[in-house]
Amino acid sequence: MEKTITVTVNGTAYTRTVPLRLLLVDFIRDECGLTGTHIGCTYEGRCGACTVQIEGRAHKSCMKLAVQADGKEITTIEGLGSRDNLHRLQQAFSRYHALQCGFCTSGILMNAVDFLNENINPSEAEVRRALVGNLCRCTGYSHIVEAILAASATRHGLKPVPPPAETEPPP
Amino acid sequence: MYPAPIEAYFAPRTIDGALQCRAEAGDDAMFIAGGMSLMQAMKARLATPRALIDLNEVEELSGLAKGPRGVTVRPLTRYRELAVTTALHGALQAIGDAASTVGDRQVRNAGTIGGSLCWNYVASCMPNVCLCLDATLVLASLERGERGVPINEFLIGPLETARRDDELLVEINFPASKVYGVGSAYRKYGGTVDGLPIVGIAALIEVDETGLCTDARFSVGGILPTARRFDGVGDALLGRSGTPAAFVEAASAAADAIETQTDHLASAHYRKVLIRTLGRDVLAEAHARATGG
Amino acid sequence: MSAAVETGWIGRSLERREDARLLTGRGEYLADVRVSDCLHVCFVRSSHAHARIKDIRLDAALEIPGVVGAITGAELSREIQGQKIPVLIPAFPAKYRQYWPLAVDEVYWHGEPLAAIVAKDKYVAEDAAAAVEIDYEPLPVVTDAEVALREDSPRVYDDWDSNEIFGTSYTGGFEADQIAKNDAEVEALFAQADVVLRQRFRTQRCGVCPIETRGALAIWSETDGLTVHLTTQRPHIERLALADLLELSTAEVRVVAPRDQGGGFGVKAPFYREHVVVCHLARKLGRPVRWIETREEHLMTVSQERDQIHDLEIAADREGRILALRNRGIGDVGDGRQGVYWGFVMPSLGSVMLPNAYGIRHADIKLRCAVTNKACMSPSRSFGALPTRFALERGLDMLARKLGLETAALKRRNLVTEFPFISVTGVHHDSGNYVKAWDKLVESVDLPGFRALQEEARASGRYIGIGFACGAEFSGIPSDVLVPLENQPGYGVVTMRIDPRGKIAIHEGDAPQGQSHETTMAQVAADAFGIHPDDVSVRHGDTGTTPLSSGTIGARGASYTVAAIAEAAAALKAKMARYMIHDHGLEGATADDFSFRGGAVIYEKDGNIRREFAALADRIVMGSINLPAGEDPGLEHTAYFEAPKPMICFTAQAAKVEVDIETGQFTILDYATCEDVGTVINPIVVEGQVQGGVVQGMSNAMFEEFLYDENGQQLTADFENYRLASAADVPNVTVGHSPTPCPDHPLGVRAVGEGRPGPVPGALANAICDALAPFGVESTTLPLKPEMILALIEAGRAGNGG
Repeated sequence: MEKTITVTVNGTAYTRTVPLRLLLVDFIRDECGLTGTHIGCTYEGRCGACTVQIEGRAHKSCMKLAVQADGKEITTIEGLGSRDNLHRLQQAFSRYHALQCGFCTSGILMNAVDFLNENINPSEAEVRRALVGNLCRCTGYSHIVEAILAASATRHGLKPVPPPAETEPPP
Repeated sequence: MYPAPIEAYFAPRTIDGALQCRAEAGDDAMFIAGGMSLMQAMKARLATPRALIDLNEVEELSGLAKGPRGVTVRPLTRYRELAVTTALHGALQAIGDAASTVGDRQVRNAGTIGGSLCWNYVASCMPNVCLCLDATLVLASLERGERGVPINEFLIGPLETARRDDELLVEINFPASKVYGVGSAYRKYGGTVDGLPIVGIAALIEVDETGLCTDARFSVGGILPTARRFDGVGDALLGRSGTPAAFVEAASAAADAIETQTDHLASAHYRKVLIRTLGRDVLAEAHARATGG
Repeated sequence: MSAAVETGWIGRSLERREDARLLTGRGEYLADVRVSDCLHVCFVRSSHAHARIKDIRLDAALEIPGVVGAITGAELSREIQGQKIPVLIPAFPAKYRQYWPLAVDEVYWHGEPLAAIVAKDKYVAEDAAAAVEIDYEPLPVVTDAEVALREDSPRVYDDWDSNEIFGTSYTGGFEADQIAKNDAEVEALFAQADVVLRQRFRTQRCGVCPIETRGALAIWSETDGLTVHLTTQRPHIERLALADLLELSTAEVRVVAPRDQGGGFGVKAPFYREHVVVCHLARKLGRPVRWIETREEHLMTVSQERDQIHDLEIAADREGRILALRNRGIGDVGDGRQGVYWGFVMPSLGSVMLPNAYGIRHADIKLRCAVTNKACMSPSRSFGALPTRFALERGLDMLARKLGLETAALKRRNLVTEFPFISVTGVHHDSGNYVKAWDKLVESVDLPGFRALQEEARASGRYIGIGFACGAEFSGIPSDVLVPLENQPGYGVVTMRIDPRGKIAIHEGDAPQGQSHETTMAQVAADAFGIHPDDVSVRHGDTGTTPLSSGTIGARGASYTVAAIAEAAAALKAKMARYMIHDHGLEGATADDFSFRGGAVIYEKDGNIRREFAALADRIVMGSINLPAGEDPGLEHTAYFEAPKPMICFTAQAAKVEVDIETGQFTILDYATCEDVGTVINPIVVEGQVQGGVVQGMSNAMFEEFLYDENGQQLTADFENYRLASAADVPNVTVGHSPTPCPDHPLGVRAVGEGRPGPVPGALANAICDALAPFGVESTTLPLKPEMILALIEAGRAGNGG
């Protein structure tokens, strides 16, 4: 019923003895103490809040057992960039106000980084389709799409479309 | 909404190893591939396997091969790979159409064609596409060796296939086809973008040098009990050139003939509307691909 | 942002203070709170919609290793108070039924909790819940409110004389004869009208579904009592209710809404029965107990609103001027047992909001609410008003078509133009310029250009359409509405503290869930004191450290709480000025003679007389000798803000769609709004609020629908069956502005959070019907399923003779 596994998360090897049925997302949250990976749906793996990268690819960590990650390299949101050294996508998310409550944000970032590695110059429509696996209930998605396009442009040394101009206070 | 206790977990590296594990684990064991359906079922406790045999480390179950007798797709091949491979152009392009719209990016990174076939969920895309493209499935078991099963015999009903519990799907073979003059396509309608189809349509069209249709296949997914071929489309198209009117006629014949069900996603009538309109468009697209248009 | 910017923080799209932690996975959501030795709760829920509980057997569950305890409704009802307590009851005459958080004897909806299991982890708790054996005796089920209101309907509660939980008239007055007189006047206007539109509108059961579900973590201490971390928008009200229900002193109850909550949108505003069970179990077991709701539980039990029917009648003259309205509404409130709202407060406010931004002088508006064997309606953003917005916005389009008028012109003609305006239902429209915002929107979508395009498209067999809708939405709710409505105060309140280093701490009793309070409120305070927003911290949600407030509901943040910040800042600035006058001997000077900028307090009449802001703060807080006469030391102030009447914020919205007439499927080509939100504190935050609200409205309108079968079985308790819009399903939303500062708010702000989804279904449906005008299509129900649209097209074709 239990197995000892070693999973490398953000470069740190975690060796734990876990129940076979333990979900990877619970391993990451409870065994590794990395609570930036969230749970928004329960059985069906629809919302995408738990998205992490396994061997560089975006996966929903609620749809895997922890034992299936034995020997694998995982990157979670905590491994993407730090407060002082944000990934350009994290910077764009802040600049374009691409998050409100932030609950879906980790999953979106982990998916979007994988997506931008695969599609280096996406269109708006491609960005929107790439986000199908991540539900957001706050933003209406517009700012998320803008931030991802901006991060993509920045990588190519292009000037992204700026965020909305600061308005004049009304008379 | 969390899996029931699991007593044993195996991660074999070869097909033989996987079959050995199955023998060792006994009857309450299940194979798990991408897990996109099985994990849902386990978390909902609709599936409570005592043991899991994880196929994800079995490299020989993954990949595509093109040979004189056709194309072999290994069952562990992920949607992501199927969506981008150039090996499936021509007659098998419908597979790429379907694979690129299954679920979402994360699902496509994990989900496999073989897993989808063996699960045979009524609304999934792969059983439907493989039915249209005349796949033959090779199933292997420790005791009985390998057997080939044509896809139409493999798909039985909702969540039901001809695979026995101790059998492992090891190959999905598509027959050889002409290099030119053949095209296939797949589209679905699921309400939301890339949603599970309420109706999905796959079609293949083959034309001769004069542009006349020499073969036409058409299958429908999202209907009970499982994806279904409609050969009347061939009757409507064979020997004719592909005109919009011909596609309308063929798809309408399919819509009239195929029995559809009413559920909370759509009425039987609306499913027929979808068969007619999507069907027409899919036939046109397959034809355009066949004629290089 | 450059630290050199000294003032003018209001109106800037500052990057958010919240973002650094949220973007790096360091958010502090409920499930992230770590406590050792914590147990987990799993609720056992009814598999029947209505049944007598004959027996519950827990033995098998209790034998599972790792299970610590279990409790049934019968046991719980002997240990705590029932949920019918004054703090959770509004001041309406309605049937408030006593109930316990776990069902006792009888269950009334599919999903009602009837027992709770406590175990070492959530996996084992679920194993045990599955092992609980229950014998039910099924009882008759009613799932349709209209049926429920019939005499011969099965009763949800067999000791009630009818299923009607609440019913009232919103027009004419409070006395029967006044109402009758009003109704007769309205009838007379209908008799004289050039045109009358009568139509039934129906909105499906759907809601907002935040991505973070509900949850509670209760910790019991013999010394301090109960500390409970809760997903809640109103921690102070939770605290009062929990104390009453558990018979604890309020001194023994501390509620902490986590610093980060994964969306709320109204769903986290009611008092939920699960909360009290978790707290009781923690006390009983003496160990921390956590419950994190599963998504399936969530979709089974909450996020269900909008379930209303409206029989609307509009009397108008030939030019489309509304002479009178009549409306008979029906609300399907589910089981009608849920603290604060009891299912019917939402439809009730929906009826109040029905006249919207239109200057309607005469109306007869009545509502009946029925209990059914479904989950209790719980609030969703646009609180009760989405259905009435849909009905009236659709109805006016139908009226325009009847009269051969352009709908945008007809609606403009009816907008309120003179302020303040009191609606027939008593809604106070404080100020604004609705027509200006409307015109700006109509101009932005190039209506004449679109009409030309539409004609061309039709000629080539394509069907595009445009639809308009608007919303005059509450910007916060004052006490004179909230006290009668919810038995709670409406005032905004903050405690503001300035420390000796010149850092400002703002404590608010609200509990935001993504609304950017830490940023926007810091901008407001920084602007007032001429310091940098980084020197302002905002803390919320902890009843142990914040003043009592009604919580983050009804767009109260930027309206009431921000106003309180402005007032607290004004009071503290005046005090600092008095110290300056005293210390520098500036006899005759007043607070107005000092400006706060660049981190300094400056005497405007002599710029040499200035103090660094932090130095002055240090002098007042630490240097408590030589005080000005009658002055206290210290820099702390609690300010209460109350608007005299409701403040209103206006949104005008337009959708452009293309419909495929073969399938009824449609694509939203474009969606634009024009907002009158008064003074904008942070433009990009406001834009995000609007876009998010609009897309919730789109998702509600297009996809979301809770379905119950005839036995009351809920069929849509997962995201595969209850579908939310993804990024690929919706367009970009363009947000425009036409601001009119609010005269009742010290900064002129109107808050934007609440109302944005409301007008969306009307705008979309109007666009679809405009596109399909050649077929005479008029859609009157939600959701806008392609199949339904196709059926209307087919009916239209048949009606047109093919």
